[in-house]
Amino acid sequence: MSAAELGALVPALALAGSAALATLLAIPRRTGPRALAWLGALAAAAVAGVALANGTGAASPTVARDGASAFFVVLVAIVTAVSCVLAAADPRRIVRSKDETALALIAACGAVVVVSAVDLLVLFVGLALLTIPLYVLTGRTALAGDEGAVRHFLLGATSSAVALYGMALLYAATGETGYAGLGRATHNPLYLAGLALTLAGLVSHVATASARRWSIVINVAVSGALVRLVAATASGEIGLDWQVSFATLAGVALVVPGVAAVAERRVRRIVGYATITQLGFVAVAVASAALPAAAFALAAHCATALGLFAVIAILPQREPVLEDLAGLARRRPVVVLALALLAFGIAGVPPTVGFLAKVDVLEAAVRAQLLWLVVLGALASVGTAVACARLVLACFAAPPLDAVAPSRMRAGTVVALVLAIAVLAAGLAPGPLLDAVQAVHF
Amino acid sequence: MVQVVVLIPLVVAVACALPIGSLARVLAVLSGLLTAGCVAAAVWLGVGGGPVDLYYWAAPLGAQLAVGWDGWSAAMLLLSGVLFAAGAAASGGIVRPRAYFALWSLLQTAVAGVFVSRDLLLFFAAHDALLVPLALLLWGWGGADRRAATRRLAVMWLTGSALLLTGILALGVGAHTFSFATLAGYRLAEASQVLLALLFLSAFAMRLPLFPFHAWVARTYVAAPAPVAIVLGGVLSKTAVYAIARICLPLFPRGMADLEPYLLALATVGALYGAILATRQRDTRRVIAYASLAEIDLIAVGVFLATPGGLEGALIASISHGLVVAILVLLGAALARRIGSFGFGPGGLGARAPVLMALFVLAILGLIGVPGTSGAPGQLSILAAAFAVSPGIGLIASLVPVVIAVSGAGVLRAVFFGPPAVGGLDLGWRERGLVVALIALAVVIGVVPRSVGDLAGRTGPALSELRQ
Repeated sequence: MSAAELGALVPALALAGSAALATLLAIPRRTGPRALAWLGALAAAAVAGVALANGTGAASPTVARDGASAFFVVLVAIVTAVSCVLAAADPRRIVRSKDETALALIAACGAVVVVSAVDLLVLFVGLALLTIPLYVLTGRTALAGDEGAVRHFLLGATSSAVALYGMALLYAATGETGYAGLGRATHNPLYLAGLALTLAGLVSHVATASARRWSIVINVAVSGALVRLVAATASGEIGLDWQVSFATLAGVALVVPGVAAVAERRVRRIVGYATITQLGFVAVAVASAALPAAAFALAAHCATALGLFAVIAILPQREPVLEDLAGLARRRPVVVLALALLAFGIAGVPPTVGFLAKVDVLEAAVRAQLLWLVVLGALASVGTAVACARLVLACFAAPPLDAVAPSRMRAGTVVALVLAIAVLAAGLAPGPLLDAVQAVHF
Repeated sequence: MVQVVVLIPLVVAVACALPIGSLARVLAVLSGLLTAGCVAAAVWLGVGGGPVDLYYWAAPLGAQLAVGWDGWSAAMLLLSGVLFAAGAAASGGIVRPRAYFALWSLLQTAVAGVFVSRDLLLFFAAHDALLVPLALLLWGWGGADRRAATRRLAVMWLTGSALLLTGILALGVGAHTFSFATLAGYRLAEASQVLLALLFLSAFAMRLPLFPFHAWVARTYVAAPAPVAIVLGGVLSKTAVYAIARICLPLFPRGMADLEPYLLALATVGALYGAILATRQRDTRRVIAYASLAEIDLIAVGVFLATPGGLEGALIASISHGLVVAILVLLGAALARRIGSFGFGPGGLGARAPVLMALFVLAILGLIGVPGTSGAPGQLSILAAAFAVSPGIGLIASLVPVVIAVSGAGVLRAVFFGPPAVGGLDLGWRERGLVVALIALAVVIGVVPRSVGDLAGRTGPALSELRQ
């Protein structure tokens, strides 16, 4: 491993070290899972600082260290830190397992590798490191228990296998695994098939992940890997045109959840559909070759989705439906305020950051002459807005007499409120965030 | 100065988070009056008005925080200040007052934002954001049908907004700016003007509502609490009138001219259709809803004509219609408190409640546009402009007040005439004061319509310059 690679992998190594430490600390009987989760949150927050300080540096053939990797690594670290705080505060966990923090940190380490990989093999190693701990975490948290985990595992493993098959074809076509060597055989059908399979494998990791806070890391990692892959194959002499593929992908990701969310009653699913719509906007930005817009939309996605999962964690039901929200406005007005800001943020209603992210992406799409996608995106956000409005309005219904009081989860409320305020503040004064995404480049 | 009209209600909304109890209502009334007072004082003294470029809200996106007002928006700000104050004053005995008045003030903030925005993205943000407090107010404090009504309203308005956003982005990205001032000198090809005008109009037609996008009207008026109905008919429909006159006409003059025959046909048919529907209702709220639809489509005729007379008539009629809708909704609510329902009741209330009857008659005269009331100058101006352009349109449009008169007379006869009713008290002093104040305003505008016309000339470019 060269010095450049080592320098680029500092955040990943720090996360792996924290994971090892968390495993060791879990051995004594006295350390509780709650303390471990808080430690994990601290470690991930520290890694965010490290990644900021690490900055950009010399390029290496396997791992990048540029503006884009720094941005996505910071995003992954922050999302992991907030998820750990939520895990520490989640009162519903009956059987608390101590290995959860270590698993989350390993997944974050994998995500960091995925977003900075410029080599197909490194990408796959990162993908495995990212997804396998998450299968276990799904098994721990899903209501269906083992069945949900097995389903996630089977679908996820299939996606990984498809991606690996694509990478193998790419190697066969180009004789190299580095991104720099990609595209030397543009007219080789093996090459195009390999790219298609890699893309499909990566994207279906997003689609198969369950709507939980841990899956936001997958969304960030896959988006980061995709924009890098696209940039590597679209630039220079190769000039592969990704617009149609990503526009199609975005169209599906916008319309299907936009329609499905309207009639959905399960809160987690509504949030899940809304996040897919947000990722659809990220795909619109990729199709329009607007990297800063994609990064902006992804940051907005992280803040709003995490905040909504924090709100769900406060509810007493593990799989709440809309009726379970009844009475929340009277019992927890602060939570409902946060929920309203976050829901309108995820739906892109002004003056939240979600609105600006939507506008930014759609402006880029207009510039790229994708007017049909702009109309589709704007209309799809109507479906999301209606679904998210139902979330908020359901809180104002009168509660049933036998309703279980929502937990007094202070950390969860604080996280939701902080994220909601951030979503509003970034919508009113988006300057710093917009400056930060301007630095996202390869 | 301009920022003040947005900041006052925003401060009140934030203040409602404090445990201020019933003081919230006083603050909400004050914020409405203060906004109107500020605008009136600024217009009178000829200060403020902008345009002010505050700062780049989101520079890479091109969104600028630019605010300012011209004659039309100043008039609309005055109207919205008065109506928000009246609505807040009429919101006595509401449950959960702090949440209600916080949302109420947020709605007022967003409406003020619509009228003062001098940047298309900022305008869209305010235009879209006002739906949030409005939907919450409808859902939380509405009548029996509130859920279905809110859902329908939200879906229709959001769909319009989505198309508007597409249009704004297409225009702004092409012109490299969203600022009104810079866009004023930007001319598009005729074909794109028509397309963009259609995208913009799709949102405004939903809000007016222009026939045939009126599916939400009756339902929402019935479900809305009286103060929200005042704002809905009095102010929110005027945001669309304002937007067509101040955004669509100057930005797409050729496109609007190409679309004019179709738009005029829709507006005229809608006006007559609304008036005819109003005669068939047995619920005062629905009568008000359809009569209001007819009046607004008549105002739309004036705007779509885009002649100086039509536009000036539309402005005066907008203000008059806002005041008259507020008066009618207040009287309808007062009536319902006496009869026990929004139906017409057993009749014969006139003997028991002569003041209520007198005020009701005055309000209906204002709605029809009898000379001396505020309805007359605007309506006459629109009708004259319509006759000048097309006698057919003018003829159909001049039938509208007649048919509205039939529905108004029907309500009066059913409610107030007949054998004297047994129960029912006359209006109390508080109800009386509010309605009389609004009627006095309406009469002043009816007698001196130039006050509004001068207002338009005082702070902005003359209305007649729009078409150039």
